[in-house]
Amino acid sequence: MRAMEQRSESPVIDLARRVWRDYSILVVFVVIIIICAVAAPRFILLDNLLNILRNTSTVGAIALGMTLVIIAGGIDLSSGPVLAVSGAVLILLQRMVNADGSPAVPLAVAILACLAVATSFGFVNGFIVTKAKLPPFIVTLAVGIIARSLVMYFMRGATVMGNNIPQFTGIGNGSVLSFQLGSATFPGIPIPFIVAIAMAVVFHILLTRTKFGTYVFAVGGNENAARYSGIKVDRIRIATYMLVGLCTGIAATIEMSRMAAVAATTSGAQYEFEAITAVIVGGTSLSGGKGRIVGSIVGFIILGIVNNMMIMLNISPYLSGAVKGAVILFAVLMQRRER
Amino acid sequence: MSARPGRKPARTPERKPAAKTVRKTAVRPVRRTASTQAGAPPVLQMRGISKSFFGVEVLHGVDFTVGKGQIMGLCGENGAGKSTLMKILAGIHTQDAGEVVFKGSAMRRNVTPLEMQNLGISMIHQELNLLNELTVAQNIFLCREPRSAAGLINFKRMNEQAAAVLERLGEKIDPRRKVYDLKIAQKQMVEIAKAISFNVELLVMDEPTSPLTGRETRILFDLISHLSEQGIAVVYISHRLKEIIDICHQVTVLRDGQLVATRDVSEVTARQIAALMVGREVKESRAADHAGTPDDVVLDVQGVSDRLLKNVDFRVRRGEILGFSGLIGAGRTELMEVIFGMRRPEAGSVRIEGRPVTVRDAIDAIRADLGFVTEDRKETGLVLCRDITDNANYVSWLKNRGFFKGRKSTADSTRRIIERLRIRCSSPAQHVSNLSGGNQQKVALAKWLLSGARVLILDEPTRGVDVGARQEIYQIIRELAAEGVAVIVVSSDLSEIRSICERVIVMHEGRITGTLNASEFTEAKVMYYATDVV
Repeated sequence: MRAMEQRSESPVIDLARRVWRDYSILVVFVVIIIICAVAAPRFILLDNLLNILRNTSTVGAIALGMTLVIIAGGIDLSSGPVLAVSGAVLILLQRMVNADGSPAVPLAVAILACLAVATSFGFVNGFIVTKAKLPPFIVTLAVGIIARSLVMYFMRGATVMGNNIPQFTGIGNGSVLSFQLGSATFPGIPIPFIVAIAMAVVFHILLTRTKFGTYVFAVGGNENAARYSGIKVDRIRIATYMLVGLCTGIAATIEMSRMAAVAATTSGAQYEFEAITAVIVGGTSLSGGKGRIVGSIVGFIILGIVNNMMIMLNISPYLSGAVKGAVILFAVLMQRRER
Repeated sequence: MSARPGRKPARTPERKPAAKTVRKTAVRPVRRTASTQAGAPPVLQMRGISKSFFGVEVLHGVDFTVGKGQIMGLCGENGAGKSTLMKILAGIHTQDAGEVVFKGSAMRRNVTPLEMQNLGISMIHQELNLLNELTVAQNIFLCREPRSAAGLINFKRMNEQAAAVLERLGEKIDPRRKVYDLKIAQKQMVEIAKAISFNVELLVMDEPTSPLTGRETRILFDLISHLSEQGIAVVYISHRLKEIIDICHQVTVLRDGQLVATRDVSEVTARQIAALMVGREVKESRAADHAGTPDDVVLDVQGVSDRLLKNVDFRVRRGEILGFSGLIGAGRTELMEVIFGMRRPEAGSVRIEGRPVTVRDAIDAIRADLGFVTEDRKETGLVLCRDITDNANYVSWLKNRGFFKGRKSTADSTRRIIERLRIRCSSPAQHVSNLSGGNQQKVALAKWLLSGARVLILDEPTRGVDVGARQEIYQIIRELAAEGVAVIVVSSDLSEIRSICERVIVMHEGRITGTLNASEFTEAKVMYYATDVV
């Protein structure tokens, strides 16, 4: 409020002030990129940047759904294990071949099965949270532990290779819109990033233009007022968990396609925390009712940059947690002024 | 009911609240009786206490004196200043002017609640302040636990001391029990025991009997008399005027933050106390000629009962403004929640325009064109962290089909409602948390106007609303009625009811105790039905 009362010298300063007030995460983003470019000039190379986008898209997809859940006042700690379960379903279906070596199950069917499994886990989470009235933290933690345990049991803790065919691996490793300009080559935009951005657009529209999005904010902002306004609070809640499940299924598809394998113990490990971190860094309030998809996009890209810089600067991977922790604190402190 | 039968003169149970009696008693001088307690040396003197909140003075130079061992009743309508006065006494609020003298010495102005407790003033709030997960003994000695030589809590000694204190009250509660296991009456005993363990000399009890059964009440009254005999003074706040007459030596009545009178209870009847509480000249500016013609019944409520409500019947007609009066806890809000589907009744039916409706959820009520502006807009009315547009449209979005919000039509209707209700804001995108109370209330109303409610329930529609916006809200209510909306106004503010309602239903303890038309409406009559004077 105070900022608005100040006299405006020029439109440019006004704009700068508004960006600083409402989009300080973008400022943080630019500052981080500059610091990185100075610290490691190779960072700014196109191939490296595109690589970051590719690597970060899996967690990014989960972070988008997670944004909705957190805005509605929940949290999902089961995403990593659910990625492993749905990924395992995908790989197991996809690797089945006929006698002549052709796939026994069409790829599309395998992917749909993967998405359905992930979405069902979301439904289970949401159903228990709303009907048993248990804290989402506990429910999703428990469901996650169960999911991880099941996938380890059925795969006997092993890594299973998928059928390494280009239609499948192309999803995670391919690029589009590559072109050549004289001697320079643009290698194209990674498909995973295209998928993540397309999802982000859909989620942004869902949150800002649809009734459903408004109710998500209302449920997270004041559940009682939402209930007294006739909003079916439980349904909205369950829907957000199903959406984060769907996102996790998409992330699983990308991840499996890139690796052409699923590892019972490590697939998706820690992804739920990476996704939650991205959402927090993006300025969405953990107490619900406030948040932006744009913030989460910036959030997961920042995390990708941090991971990339650790390698660039040859820093011990053991220190990555220390750096990420510091980034969270920094980003959240920067945005505290907005509230 | 009476703990000490025969102490007070019998009253004729006449059911006519005569305004004449009011005037007569109001000028009658305070006469000291032979009662020893009334003449006892004062243990507490509060002189000229004034207090303002946000520029509004809620206490105007109140004097309040309690003698040693005296049981002093304290009465007044909701908002008369009882709680504020007692909170100043307990050190929770600081007075703007005036002094508090306790046991002959003046208190510092910024004394803390703990210091007051150590001095011997304890307060038992209506909502008991016990920690449910701790034992009885732990609650009694919270922060003062007896220690062993090693500095650890000496549970054995603590339990023994707690048992000793409870013994003094004649109460057999195992001090090792967790408080959540106890019945309400027992919890109250624990609070009293805690006060006594502080060597209390003045005990303030705020509506202590409201959750108690008749038998428990008698036990409590015996205990209070017992405390009084031991020289402990008790300030007894209650809306149950009969109890005041039964248990207290004297009664002090506050009204609009001013001391009205202090009387010996042998000198007054419950009805006279009610009259003193209301007191002011009944202004004849009523809601006579504003609304449209009330014709057919829109809402018909039959035999609604649950744990609190007892067989409630009432009807509202098109274009009528019906008031619901009563004291806090009379069940008015609960009744409205039943009608709106937020609370499941044990029995009863609701008809809208003759058709029975099953309301299991707010959405059912909304589909039947009901609207409900709740009493606590921050808790149940508004999503404060969202903007005006969202808050005003939640219900109409639900009622209309479609997946998208329809930005243009939403923007249009929001702009119109902002103009119509004169909501003062910087833009429709302003967050509701940044609006003043009056404008927030208008947004809460806007939600139902945009959804086209035909029956609108307004629970305390002007609570925390400044005077100007209050008049505007009244005007809106009248316009709605003129358009044929049936309006129900639940209000604890009698002047509010008087200025907008044509008919008022008074509730007491879950029952409808009276219905008054505008022509027979006086505040004394309402107060008469709202308390258990009968």
